[in-house]
Amino acid sequence: MPSTTVQDLKIDSLQSLSQAQVGCDFQIKVIEGPGCDQLRKLGFCETLQVRKLADGRNLICNVCGTRMAVSKELAEQVKVTPLEA
Amino acid sequence: MESSQETIALAGNPNSGKTTLFNALTGSSAKVGNYAGVTIDLKHGEFHTPHGRKLTLVDLPGCYALDDSSPDQEIARAVLKGDHEKCPKPDLVISVIDASNLERHLQLTLQIIELDIPVIVALNMVDMAEKSGLRLDPVKLSEELGVPVVPIRADKGKGLIELKQAIAHPLPPASKPHWKTGDEKDRREFGLNVAQIAARRPDRQTSSSSDKIDAIALHPVLGWFCFLGIMFALFWSIFSFSSIPMGWIESLQELLVGQVEGAMAEGDFRDLITHGIIEGVGAVVIFLPQILMLFFFIGLMESSGYMARAAFLMDGFMSKVGLSGKAFLPLLSSYACAIPGVMATRTIDSAKERLVTIFVAPWMSCSARLPVYLLLVPMLLGGSEGGVTQAAIFMAIYVVGTLTAFLVARILRGRLGPDEVEHHFMLELPPYRLPQWGYIFRHVLDRGWAFLKNAGTIILAIMILLWAASTYPKSESDDPAEQLAHTVVGRVSAAIEPIVKPLGFDGRTGTAILTSFAAREVFVGSMAQLFHVEESDEETETRTHIRERLANETWADGSKMFTPAAVISLLIFYIYALQCLPTSAVVAREAGSWKWAVGQFIFMTVFAGVASLIVYQTITFFTG
Repeated sequence: MPSTTVQDLKIDSLQSLSQAQVGCDFQIKVIEGPGCDQLRKLGFCETLQVRKLADGRNLICNVCGTRMAVSKELAEQVKVTPLEA
Repeated sequence: MESSQETIALAGNPNSGKTTLFNALTGSSAKVGNYAGVTIDLKHGEFHTPHGRKLTLVDLPGCYALDDSSPDQEIARAVLKGDHEKCPKPDLVISVIDASNLERHLQLTLQIIELDIPVIVALNMVDMAEKSGLRLDPVKLSEELGVPVVPIRADKGKGLIELKQAIAHPLPPASKPHWKTGDEKDRREFGLNVAQIAARRPDRQTSSSSDKIDAIALHPVLGWFCFLGIMFALFWSIFSFSSIPMGWIESLQELLVGQVEGAMAEGDFRDLITHGIIEGVGAVVIFLPQILMLFFFIGLMESSGYMARAAFLMDGFMSKVGLSGKAFLPLLSSYACAIPGVMATRTIDSAKERLVTIFVAPWMSCSARLPVYLLLVPMLLGGSEGGVTQAAIFMAIYVVGTLTAFLVARILRGRLGPDEVEHHFMLELPPYRLPQWGYIFRHVLDRGWAFLKNAGTIILAIMILLWAASTYPKSESDDPAEQLAHTVVGRVSAAIEPIVKPLGFDGRTGTAILTSFAAREVFVGSMAQLFHVEESDEETETRTHIRERLANETWADGSKMFTPAAVISLLIFYIYALQCLPTSAVVAREAGSWKWAVGQFIFMTVFAGVASLIVYQTITFFTG
């Protein structure tokens, strides 16, 4: 039976980009899942800032000055934490 | 090309400005646009260094990484690795980077440096990046990467001299990577560090004007109003702004006919020139202003950045037919011409989705169908041109083609089965930019010239053949109808008529449809010629008169020939029929099989015939 690590608990406590609030800035903490290579190629990397601009079937966000539209399934694989005001 | 001539490749992420730089360096006018995936094949050109050395420049399709899977990105990878059959391994790579997004664009640059090729970084759109609050340090960037970095603004021609000077001869040696080669994680971290050092971002992101426009343009409800409004404005403008130049072409045509008739004695040769060539070709050329208008609006959408927004909006709808919003970009391009549309499917990652998109792309009504629609649609409105109703009918024609394409895509996608690797929707939404007017006008003129060349070659040849076939062999009868029945066309028409009559057409219309398998536009010229015989000498040949003549045509029993049912049936046939051999050739190449192209041709032709038959018979049944 797999044991729960501190890292797993940390990831569980993060919210995914699809759950994040529109109009707020976040920092990407973890990218994990089958689409992570695709996400990284398009500029989603850990530590980078992201602003969520719109929600929906495909959500819109701004990563390093570039607006990207990504499917909800992919956004689910990006774990973020809010940037402090 | 000298064998010793060195090859320089332009590489970079999609929409980083490679082709704009290629055009600026070589003086070419290759297609550019403000969305990812405009360049889908290699483009070659030449330019000179400040020392007069001639170099070959190769523009590569954009790619995010060297392990990307879509066919256009595979081409870029093959060239950079020296595996491409038709292009040698480049002696130097100019890595074009959008200065606003160093974090992402640097990843590809680092991969290219790993290939042991000399690299120069062209830092594009620096002023725009700085305007957004970014503080760039190209010197620091150069030091960190170990390669020359030249700030440029390709669309304004800024920094080109400095870039050419950086390509000093002998070419610089390849840079040594400062990270663990082949280790993706290490490379990514190095790239992010370098980006942080060389490009300091403001602490907080601010909303740009593109964000504000997108709040409306991509709104789930307002966005659709915008999209439909733009499409409607496009069709309305095509009619409203073209009438004046069309009048000029008509006047020129009448003047030419008058000149020839005044200078030549009556006879077959004069008839060939006036009725065969000037009026036949002229009936097609008259639609040039509308073709130019269509390309102008498509150019505006491409260079403003709206294309990607349209794809975004359509994704939800497209997913219901088993395609993604990304597939909508090639389909949108197909409204201008199916050939670049089919080629643009190279940007689609999924092979099955690509095949389906190729199959349905010719159902997006291309510019060659425009003359046919422009001739027929006013016949449904009693001959009046322009106005909101005509624009609405036009839009409906485009919607019918598109919806049928989606329906067939849905069936086909289901039959091909799911992808082995799941592909998710992901699309870059470039910032809105002012259109590059110079490029748009050059592109519009190029397309206009291609249309005229087509009119001067294929259409001219068919018009001459058709004139001969509708003139010979001559009968001794003075009755024009009997005379036509005696000719080759008359005999062919008589043979065809039983087949096309259930669709609402007579033998002459059937013959005109047959001739248009060479090129769709030919239909208008053929109709002008084949329905010409009963015209008196005083009448002038204009598009209005063609319509008047068609409207007055009757069957042998005296009933009207071009009833609304027959006109709609003709329109349906032209929406669906694949009458373009070059498109079939490109489909065969892109799909990798002639079977696919032949199957597509047969399917679309049969579909067009059956759809026309059903529509005509149904309308006739209900209207009597």
